[in-house]
Amino acid sequence: MQSTGLVPARFLTIIAHLVLVIVIFWTREENIRACLPEDYTTSQYDDKDLEMLIGLSVTLGFFLVELIGFMGGITMFMNFQGLISTVAHSAAAITLSYFLFDAWPCEWYWYIFGFCSAFPALMEIIYIVGIMCFRKGY
Amino acid sequence: MDATFRRTMTSVTDLIFPVNRRKDELQHRIVPKNHEYVTNLPLQMALYFNTFFFPFWFIGCLVILELKWQRLDELYRIVLVAIYIVYFIIECIRLYLGYLGNLMERVPELAGSWLLTLLLSFPLIILLVANDNAVLLPFERALHIVMALFVVAEVILGYLAIRTMVDYQVTKYHLQQFSDMEQLEDNDYFPETRYTS
Repeated sequence: MQSTGLVPARFLTIIAHLVLVIVIFWTREENIRACLPEDYTTSQYDDKDLEMLIGLSVTLGFFLVELIGFMGGITMFMNFQGLISTVAHSAAAITLSYFLFDAWPCEWYWYIFGFCSAFPALMEIIYIVGIMCFRKGY
Repeated sequence: MDATFRRTMTSVTDLIFPVNRRKDELQHRIVPKNHEYVTNLPLQMALYFNTFFFPFWFIGCLVILELKWQRLDELYRIVLVAIYIVYFIIECIRLYLGYLGNLMERVPELAGSWLLTLLLSFPLIILLVANDNAVLLPFERALHIVMALFVVAEVILGYLAIRTMVDYQVTKYHLQQFSDMEQLEDNDYFPETRYTS
């Protein structure tokens, strides 16, 4: 079972994604302005700001789920989940870098959220439930 | 120099982690089974992942430093360069000592690593995270937060690991003393071999 490189790779991609999400927390103005029309009102700005905040907070929640599953050892050595996680988070790290540098409109964040935060966290929850309740992987 | 290091670490460990030895407690824990180990798993994991994270943290710090060099005062240029150099050296030493000490159950190395973490890495990383005068950019702040979480975890887990290890090894030595007392001569008793290594 040659999975000795997968565990640190998974960890590093999770951390990279996490760091970029934290950066977006602090620098979301430019992205919000990119998705509003030229003459935007403060209330429109606040609506979009709230949306982004909710999206980022839910992303952090999903990170917590995935880190509990990974660091707690529950899915640390399951190769398939590790592969899903590594691929999803590295894709997220790359796309979020573009998001930051090219000032993408804020709606596009939801696509990244769906594929690269929600999907691995969902698979993680499925695996955890499978291990806890159905003794899968024993 | 190795012997001096061991002696120093042993005396420091005795000071900070005294073994509370009561007669009845020792008698209840009379048998340390031979296959039992006292390597602390969470600490080992923290050190392992910290080793992987550290190069990326350092590269990120250098890039950010280069980007904000123009905006920094003279003072903070010097201070930040000094902090990064010291942190690099200290981190390499403490990660190596901690990894080895925890895995091989060697208390002097682990105690040295824990002291370095507590006395040097902890204040430096707190300074890096919380000092707004040094033009703290969001990316840098995120990196330092992750590193600070690692350092705090290692301080707490290191304390628990050393305490468990010291108790276990002193108990084992104490019992070993009784089992082969005939072979133990007086001039062979060195305090630092109390920690089997």
